Amino acid sequence: MRKKAWREAGTGYLLLSPTLFVLLLFIIGPILFAIFLAFHKVQLLGTTTFEFVGFDNFKRMTGDLRAKIALWNTVKYVVLVVPCQTMLALVLAATLNAGLKGQKFFRIVYFLPTLTSSAVLTLIFMWMYNQNGLINHLLQAVGLPTYNWLGDPKVALNAIMVMNIWSTAPFFMVIYLAALQDIPDSLYEAAELDGANAIQKFWYVTVPYLRPVTSFVVIMGLIGTFQLFDQSYIFSAGSGGPNNSTLTVVLLIYQYAFKTLGTMGYAAALAFALAIIILIATLVQRRFSKEESLY
Amino acid sequence: MKKWLAIGMSTMLFGSALAGCSSGEEKTAGKETSGTKNEKVEVTLAGWGGNPTEQKLLQQTLDEFQKKYPNIKVKYEVISDQYMDVIKTRLVGGEGPDVFYLDAFEAPALIKTGALEPLDKYVTDDFDINDFEKPLLDAFKGEDGKIYGFPKDYSTLALFYNKKMFEEAGVEVPKTWDELREVAKKLTKGTQVYGFGVAPELARLYYIAESKGGKVVTDNKASFADPKVVEALQPIVDMHVKDKSAAQPSEVGANWGGEMFGQGKAAMVIEGNWAIPFLKDTFPNLEYGTAEIPTINGKKATMAYTVAYVMNKNSQKKEAAWKLISFLTGKEGMKIWTSKGLALPTRKSVAAELGFDKDPLRAPIVAGASYATVWQNGTNLPIITNNFNNQFVSAFLGQRPLADALKEAQETANKEIEGNK
Repeated sequence: MRKKAWREAGTGYLLLSPTLFVLLLFIIGPILFAIFLAFHKVQLLGTTTFEFVGFDNFKRMTGDLRAKIALWNTVKYVVLVVPCQTMLALVLAATLNAGLKGQKFFRIVYFLPTLTSSAVLTLIFMWMYNQNGLINHLLQAVGLPTYNWLGDPKVALNAIMVMNIWSTAPFFMVIYLAALQDIPDSLYEAAELDGANAIQKFWYVTVPYLRPVTSFVVIMGLIGTFQLFDQSYIFSAGSGGPNNSTLTVVLLIYQYAFKTLGTMGYAAALAFALAIIILIATLVQRRFSKEESLY
Repeated sequence: MKKWLAIGMSTMLFGSALAGCSSGEEKTAGKETSGTKNEKVEVTLAGWGGNPTEQKLLQQTLDEFQKKYPNIKVKYEVISDQYMDVIKTRLVGGEGPDVFYLDAFEAPALIKTGALEPLDKYVTDDFDINDFEKPLLDAFKGEDGKIYGFPKDYSTLALFYNKKMFEEAGVEVPKTWDELREVAKKLTKGTQVYGFGVAPELARLYYIAESKGGKVVTDNKASFADPKVVEALQPIVDMHVKDKSAAQPSEVGANWGGEMFGQGKAAMVIEGNWAIPFLKDTFPNLEYGTAEIPTINGKKATMAYTVAYVMNKNSQKKEAAWKLISFLTGKEGMKIWTSKGLALPTRKSVAAELGFDKDPLRAPIVAGASYATVWQNGTNLPIITNNFNNQFVSAFLGQRPLADALKEAQETANKEIEGNK
């Protein structure tokens, strides 16, 4: 019997081997190597050296002003973007599910931003955010003040937030939409019999029923927003400027890893710290929603 | 049945993955064997792309080289964005090009890592090393005194002014920085036309920052919070915040000074030689002149930017790579490369032969070479510059006093430098 079990396990692993090989080489290996790097001072260019420095890289973070700014910017971004995009996604999904005429058409239109590559989106938005660009013209037309969206440190991060909410909300909208189709009509009927109006139905039936999906959407949103990189990279041409206002943690990691020489170890330590922050944020979120049914 | 299908699928996938690997190996193997003498050698040359005219001119120079050395083939690669990041990553991965462009600004740090080949041992008397402008050549000397690169060209900064706007406003070309400030006020028309287009970056402000006796960098550390540096830079900030006569290109929707100037949104900009062919191609009807940069405290000052060809230390084809470098920076190659005036020659003999000092637009730029500061200062200048630029913008936009902004930037920069040790 035992032998048979072994053989079966062996066949199983043999069949798994291509996947395992890829996982080990491209995911688990790099993770272990990054942890190794985080505890070393690394010089890759010229003569490659690895010098063990213990927790020095982590200690350095506490005195690094730019790391603090980057973390602050990222947290600000997460705190504003995640609730906004979740609510927008829910509202969009609910309107599309209400049985309006032409909802298929709107479903496609709403989803289009998600299909565009984020680099292209950013470039298009940079045109629109330009001082003489579309957005300022619109603001001017309705009598609102205009901004130097790209150059003014006070508004640069907000400009990225607006763009990102607009482009990621539709993705989560589709997830909500799928979940909405799942809510049994009988619940709404029962609510109607009890005399609930449309808003009450939404608030007491739809929202509670969607809680597991909301939990998923928030976790994915948290992970995605903590990793903000490409938009701020393109906006600031890699510098995180103006005045560090678009500097995010991942952009800082990139700068230490590839721009300054000999700080690969510190960059790995920062990445490690970011992973822990995301882990904590996710755990906190789960504690809040108390929803463990799905994952 | 299903099981066999699954096995078949996975072996197919695995097989194709292996096939992918083996073809990769073949490629690298092919590269190594081509290093032997009788066969044709392929040398890779990497640089950032320029405008089409520039590309054509470089191709012409390379064609000439390949005619002279028929068994060397040059493979030219363009890295159009984030050049230094790509080069560093490729050098780390052992896939660096044999010969590549290196800006003087980045040179000290890269030389220190030992990734570059010292070139002294290749130099022959024929190459005539004393022909190079000394400050430009010195920019590529390591701490050990060896030469790691030969400058291919350079440019300095000069004042570009719009003739029509000057006529309309009835003003003269400024000779001193105080005059420039007054003239800029007269040339400004609200937010449509600014008197002076300025790039709020250290690379373009360094000579102004040091004009009152302060130092931006001391002992390889940032020292730009010095009151003398703040005093020197204050007029630039005031022109934007108080006079409203200066703006940066992004405020008017341009990408850089040359574009801002060409679109008629700035009456004056301080740019280099690179703006001349750009303006000729993009804004052929623009009437403009150039002049030497106005003096500060009665002293002339400007920046010089230079780029060299350097050799990868891990190159397998150093002989051929040197032949390429020595041709491109030799008298013959440099003459072809700089013939159209897209860039200025770093060799005195070539400069004399081509006579750009007599060209009305280029004369002020050539004249600047004798008193210019080369844009380079130790291994930490990239860190210092990054921090300066980040904070200077907030002062330039009037959000905080310049002295505070620079003090904070200096502290951040020095902390970062300390941490890298």
